[in-house]
Amino acid sequence: MQQQETDLALITAVLNGDTAVYAELVKRHQRFVFTLALRFTKNREDAEEVAQDCFVKAYRALGTFKQTSKFSTWLYTITYTSAMTALRKKKPDTQSLNDEENSVQLPDMGQSDPTERKSAYVYLNRAIDSLSADDAAIITLFYKGEQSLEEIGAALHMDANTVKVKLHRARIKLKEKLQYLLKDEVKELI
Amino acid sequence: MKTIEEQIWDYIDGNGNAGQRLEMKKKIASDEAYGSVYRELIIVQQHLGLMDLDEPSMSFGRNVMDLVNQEVPPVELQTKIDKRIISGIAAFFILGIIAIFIFAISQSHFTTSKINISITFSRYLTPAFIKTFLFIDIIIGFLYADSLFRRKWMS
Repeated sequence: MQQQETDLALITAVLNGDTAVYAELVKRHQRFVFTLALRFTKNREDAEEVAQDCFVKAYRALGTFKQTSKFSTWLYTITYTSAMTALRKKKPDTQSLNDEENSVQLPDMGQSDPTERKSAYVYLNRAIDSLSADDAAIITLFYKGEQSLEEIGAALHMDANTVKVKLHRARIKLKEKLQYLLKDEVKELI
Repeated sequence: MKTIEEQIWDYIDGNGNAGQRLEMKKKIASDEAYGSVYRELIIVQQHLGLMDLDEPSMSFGRNVMDLVNQEVPPVELQTKIDKRIISGIAAFFILGIIAIFIFAISQSHFTTSKINISITFSRYLTPAFIKTFLFIDIIIGFLYADSLFRRKWMS
């Protein structure tokens, strides 16, 4: 809530002519916007371009931002639209959003470097990368973006029920991908 | 019908009322099928909590601000729209419509004759009409109640 109030205060300052304050808004949201863009583009350079484009578009439209919703939700909507536009432009190099055929395959964890095995979150990020762009974005928004199903739906142009179904489906896929990691831990718990 | 996994995800996400949550808690404790799925899913949940955000390049913020500085500074939409302009446009159209209306009337020559209008409502208000009307009303009522409860349930 505090964060949201501060966001609104920063926006008001920018609208009142203190445009340098926008740098603070960028700094605050850049990691999330970049990660979300990366979920769609699957490529750091493209994701950075999309994220930059998103912040410039947000700046241009800042006057139209209805302060009834979270700034982050509004920003994620712009990120989604920018990512979709970028993907359409670069169609030959990109993957279908719902196509699982092109998904990144996880390496065989059993034969991988033991040091690599230590960092569970590396595997987790790889597992998320292997999901379809929509599913990866929903997982990221739900777990890291502190967004409700309705807010995610607004950002990704879907209704809340569709988001719920997709979230469930994505978690099932992630569970399968993380089976290797889970096996030992579940045994420990039992 | 929800699968065990869906029910447990709902429980982990904190969905459902206190009664449903208590019931699920008991099921997890007493039913091994639920218990084993719960143990698996809670670990997935913990791993998802480990998710980290990616960091853009060091120059990202500076690049954005360079681009932003080339843009026209944004202003609040309300300050952009001058109400006097809106009122002026509205007044122009209203005056135009009135002028056309007055001109049309001044150019016309009316000849009136007696018109007898007699409508017998009883001819239309048949029992079949009333039943159909009530039936449609009930259906609309059900649709409204459904959307209302659905919205309440979602919130």
